[in-house]
Amino acid sequence: MTSSLSTPARPAIEATDLVRTYRTHTGVIRRHRLDVEAVKGISFAVEPGELFGLLGPNGAGKTTTIKMLITLLLPTSGTATVMGLDVVRDTTEVRKRIGYVFGGDRGLYDRVSGLDNLRYFAELYGVDPAEQSRRIGALLELVGLTGREREKVEGYSRGMRQRLHIARGLLHDPDVLFLDEPSLGLDPVGARELRRTIQSLVEAGKTVLLTTHYMFEADALCDRIAVINGGKIVALGTGADLKNAVVNRTIIEIETFGVTAGTVQRLRDDPDVIAVNTEERDQSEILLVQSEHGPQITQRLLAAIGDTRVGKVVAREPTLEDAYVHLIATTGETDGAARAASVS
Amino acid sequence: MTESLRVARLIWFVTWFNVKMLLTSEFFILTTFLSPIIFATLAFFLFRAGSNTSGQTLLYVALGAGMMGVWSTTLFGCGGAIAWQRWEGTLELLVNAPSRYDYILVGQTFGAVTLGFYGIGATIVWGMLLFGMPLEATFPWLLPFGLAAAVLSLGSLGMLIATTFVLYRHANALGNLLEYPIWLIAGLLVPVATLPFWVQPISWLLAPTWGMEAIRGSATASDPPFFAIGMCLVLAVVYYVLARIILVYVLNKARRDATLALQ
Repeated sequence: MTSSLSTPARPAIEATDLVRTYRTHTGVIRRHRLDVEAVKGISFAVEPGELFGLLGPNGAGKTTTIKMLITLLLPTSGTATVMGLDVVRDTTEVRKRIGYVFGGDRGLYDRVSGLDNLRYFAELYGVDPAEQSRRIGALLELVGLTGREREKVEGYSRGMRQRLHIARGLLHDPDVLFLDEPSLGLDPVGARELRRTIQSLVEAGKTVLLTTHYMFEADALCDRIAVINGGKIVALGTGADLKNAVVNRTIIEIETFGVTAGTVQRLRDDPDVIAVNTEERDQSEILLVQSEHGPQITQRLLAAIGDTRVGKVVAREPTLEDAYVHLIATTGETDGAARAASVS
Repeated sequence: MTESLRVARLIWFVTWFNVKMLLTSEFFILTTFLSPIIFATLAFFLFRAGSNTSGQTLLYVALGAGMMGVWSTTLFGCGGAIAWQRWEGTLELLVNAPSRYDYILVGQTFGAVTLGFYGIGATIVWGMLLFGMPLEATFPWLLPFGLAAAVLSLGSLGMLIATTFVLYRHANALGNLLEYPIWLIAGLLVPVATLPFWVQPISWLLAPTWGMEAIRGSATASDPPFFAIGMCLVLAVVYYVLARIILVYVLNKARRDATLALQ
C-alpha cells in the first residue's frame, strides 16, 4: 500500500477539469472529421466511504466519466485520481484498487457457469488462490446466488446476471466500486435487492460511485449527488440541497387525454409557470406544471387547457425528481454528448 | 507465491478457461475436429488419383492436412475469440484487469493452438485406418521437439495476429483472408520449393512453414530437421517481441480512441 493511502484527508476519487472529446467521421467518399465533446471539464471529489451519485440523462457524459476514472479511456485533458493514484500514469495500481460494474446483459461468459466466470476473473484480478474459494463463496452469498453458481450464465435472469456482475466487481475486495446504471432493466424486486446490496457495501466501508436514471434510487442511497448534463456538472450536493432549488414551488399534476403540443406551449407561456414537463402513461399524459404560486393558478391552467379531456388534478410538494427535471430542463442540451455516447 | 509462479498459474488458468470456452462453440469444434479429416481425405484421393501412394507420400499429405487444420484453429481461436469477446463485452474487462494483458493473450492463443494440434494426430489416424498409411517416422525421437517448436511458433504468431483484433473490430475479415493463402504459401499442400521464387521469402517468415518443416522433417526427411526447429524457436521469439511492442501501442490507442466497446 502506498503512503498516499494513509493520508486521511485525500479523497477516494478526485476529478479535476476532466475533458473527453471523441473523434468520429461522417460520409464515405468525402469524409469529414467530427469532434464531439462528451465531457466538458468536470470536477468533483468523493470522500472515502461515501456513496456518490452521478445523475443525468442519456448522453450526458456519465459513462464516459466513469470510463476515464476506471482507466478504460484516456482523458483529453484534466486529471483524475483514485485513492491518490493517477488514472493515466498509475493504471495497474488503480485497477488493483477498483471494481466496476456496468449495467446490462454484456460482460459475462454466457456459455460457462457463474462459478467459472468468478474463478476466471479471480485469477485475472490476482486473488490469492488460497483465498479464492472462500471469497467466491462469500460473494455468492452476498448477492444471493448460492446454489445457482454451477448453472450456465446463459440461463440466468437479468437480475441474476446483474448480481453476478457485482460479485465479479468485488472479487479482489476493491476500495472503490464504480456502478454504472446497475439496476438497468431489473424488475422492482431485483432492483430493491440490488439497492440493499449496495447499501451493505457502503456499510462495509467501500467508496461507491453510482450512476443511475432513477431519482428515488439516488435519493435513497446517495450521500451526495452530482447532476451532469451536456458533459457538465450542473448541480452538486445532497438530495436535500438539490430539492432546495425547487423548494418554493408547487407541482401541479394534471392528467390529460390527448393533449396537444400547442396546449402545452400555452401553459408554458403563462407568466406564473416556471416549467411544464409531460409524462406519457398508458392512455393519458400527465402534465407536471411547476409554479411558485401554488394551487391558486390551477383554475387558470385548466382554462388554458381548454377542451382537452382532464382527469385527476393534484397539487403536491416537489421531489428530487422534480428538482432533477428542472435542472436538466434549464441547463443546456445533451445532443452533442448523446452523439458522443453512441461511439463510446 | 512468487511473481513468476503467479504468472505461470495465470497463463495456465487462462489456457484452461479458453479451451473450455472454445469447446462450447460448435463452429470451433467443426473447424478443429472435422476440417483436418476432410482436408486429409481430399488430399489422399488427389494423390491417389496421381498414382502417388507411397507410405512416405501419404504421411506427408496427412501431416500437411493436419497442419491446415492447425492454422485454421489458430486464426479462429486467437483472432476470432477476441472478436467474440468484443461482442460479449468481456474484452474491456480483460484489457482493464490488473494482470498484464499479454499474459492473458498468451494463455488464450496457446490454448487454441494446442487444441488445434489434435488435427495432426487425427489425420494420421485417419490415414492409417482408411488409406493404409504406414506410420514410419524417420526421426521419431525428434517428433515431440518438432511439435513443441511448431506449437510455440504458431502460438506466438497467433498472439501477433490477436493484437490487431484488439484494435480493429473488423479484423475478422483479415483473419478469414489469411486462411487459404497461408495453406499454399507455407507449403502445407505442396512443397515451398515448387512455389514461384518471389513467394518463397514470404514463406520463410511464416511460422506454419517452419512448423510444417519441423514435423515433416522428423517424420519423412532423410536429415534431421534441426534448422527448421531452430527457425520455429527464433520466429516464436520474434513474433512474441513484436506482439508485445505492438500491444503497448494498441492498448494505448484503444484507450485514446475508445474502440474496445465497439462491436
